[in-house]
Amino acid sequence: MLGSDILDVAIGVVFVFFIVSILCSAIREGIEAWMKSRATHLEQGIRELLHDRDAVGLARQFFEHPMIYGLYAGAYQKSPTSTWWPTALTRGRNLPSYIPSRNFALALMDMAARGPVVDQATSSPISGAITFDDLRANIATIGNPPVQRALLSAIDTAQGDLQRAQKNIEEWYDSAMDRVSGWYKRSTQWILFAIGLSAAVVFNVNTLTVVDYLYSEKTARQALVARAQVVAADPASPSTTYNLARHELESNNLPIGWGNRAAKVAERTQGRWDVLVMTTLGWLLTAIAASLGAPFWFDLLNKMMVIRSTVKPHEKSPEEASEDRQIGSAPPPAAAAGSAAAPPAPPGAAVATTAAAAPSPPPPPAAPVPPDQVDGCDVGVVHITSDEDLPAAEGGVA
Amino acid sequence: MPIYSLTWLPDVLKGAGLKVGPVDGWQTRGSGDVGEIRGVICHHTAGPRQGNMPSLRTLIDGRPDLPGPLAQLGLGRDGTYYVVAAGRCNHAGRGSWEGITSGNTHFIGIEAENTGLADDFPWPAIQLDAYQRGVAAIFKHLTLTVDCCAGHREYALPPGRKDDPSLDMVAFRATVSSLLSGGAPAPVLIPATEPPKPDGTPGRPTLRRNDTNDFVKLVQQKLGVEQLGVFGPKTEAAVREFQRTHGMVPDGIVGPKTWAALDALSHS
Repeated sequence: MLGSDILDVAIGVVFVFFIVSILCSAIREGIEAWMKSRATHLEQGIRELLHDRDAVGLARQFFEHPMIYGLYAGAYQKSPTSTWWPTALTRGRNLPSYIPSRNFALALMDMAARGPVVDQATSSPISGAITFDDLRANIATIGNPPVQRALLSAIDTAQGDLQRAQKNIEEWYDSAMDRVSGWYKRSTQWILFAIGLSAAVVFNVNTLTVVDYLYSEKTARQALVARAQVVAADPASPSTTYNLARHELESNNLPIGWGNRAAKVAERTQGRWDVLVMTTLGWLLTAIAASLGAPFWFDLLNKMMVIRSTVKPHEKSPEEASEDRQIGSAPPPAAAAGSAAAPPAPPGAAVATTAAAAPSPPPPPAAPVPPDQVDGCDVGVVHITSDEDLPAAEGGVA
Repeated sequence: MPIYSLTWLPDVLKGAGLKVGPVDGWQTRGSGDVGEIRGVICHHTAGPRQGNMPSLRTLIDGRPDLPGPLAQLGLGRDGTYYVVAAGRCNHAGRGSWEGITSGNTHFIGIEAENTGLADDFPWPAIQLDAYQRGVAAIFKHLTLTVDCCAGHREYALPPGRKDDPSLDMVAFRATVSSLLSGGAPAPVLIPATEPPKPDGTPGRPTLRRNDTNDFVKLVQQKLGVEQLGVFGPKTEAAVREFQRTHGMVPDGIVGPKTWAALDALSHS
């Protein structure tokens, strides 16, 4: 039981998370295309790296250096400085969102050797080629002690090799960029959480109702797992577009959305307090899931599919049937003969044969049960009605 | 014996082009009368696999631990509605739907014949179609919306107490909704006669229970039933069995398709 049912519910939920994550990532990319916050992150990272937080000295010279200037349109305009959460939502405008480490190293070395690009003299060909010693001797022109220190150590470990010095500077830049990308990822996670929460509310994707629904609706669960299997097998799935993901979300008969009655928490709980808590908690869970990103859920989905294929669902074995169903699936011998050709079984005999199969054998209802608290569904057939005993039907013929 | 409220059921269902078989005494059957009808709860019987509606007698009389009737309507595998009771039935039990917790009083119960197991899935197309059309006809009569249609497992509390019906209720309601809005095709009826032969002779009439003519004798002869000339229950059962073995809808009605199959039988 645990094998397939719980696992299938989990797969269904992970699948829903995956789709929601794709949706949120797509929205995040849309915002990114407009905000260009990746560029702001890069710019702030470089300002940090060059020890020029306010972008008045070296950082400004760096961005105005021809090696870098060509990477973006227009003039350099520094992004607003703030001390906490610097760039998650600040617009990047025209700045580059990527600077190759080679450009960085060359620009910095050029500035170290020749000083800022301000006049004809330093930029004329007669100023001579950069040599290793030039570089080391002129480093004070940078006018920024911490960076000078960093450059000096890069130059000194190169032991006279200009190429090697450039390589060292590139590595220094790369390690700083790792930090910037970690920084960017973290801020993205927050934004994804915010997007996920809005999406959860707008589409009413409540993790708890989805779990509950999948747990109680066997057919829906199986259909969703089958769909998840198809999607998990396709390596292109994580790069699905917004529209496809949205279609996926809508086409799977999931208990989401506002008009959908299966998604109403009120149907599944009692009491107003429950509704409030269940709704908020469900949405928060969805939002947290979305902040983990689509690749994470795709990996998890694939891992669970592997587990599922090793835990074989025992569909064919009889003990899978619930108690209710066993009553129905064990018809009395009379039923086998109850076809058209056989004479109708005497009612008394039928009662005798099925008494054993009935759930709780004889006791007639002693205690009065409120009339609305009883049901006879999954009937538990006592008398087999053969085709000959059916009443005549009318209608259905033109 | 008082006559209960739901006496409109057979006419409404017949009006939707469905086959309807009232069970003797249905007008006065029920554990008291129903209240205001607020919807329909769909069930399956989990009865035996054989026959068209083996659970019918149990629906009428109940079982040792529960007095009947157990549902107002029984839906046979051939899509025939058997009208069991016009009063209240013990079908819903404890549960809640649309805020209504007294299900037996406010919901009509439809028990469709299905084992609920893999051996009876998917459901016969004619039965599922009749199920949806029947619910839509009832809703149209009562001017209810599609949200008033619940599966028993959706209604029952605590959750998971029931697992019937083994249908996708979301898709079910979607179809009922399109039937209510008139966006679905009209029901397919069985023609009253065969199409005329190429030489102009009229086709044979469609035969069903209680018909009496020489064509009935012909059918009885082909099926090896006593040739009384009256289309009785035994003949109907024999026709159903014949239809079942020939992969047709086992409704016991000898229409054009069954005539053709009977002809093929005598040629071989």
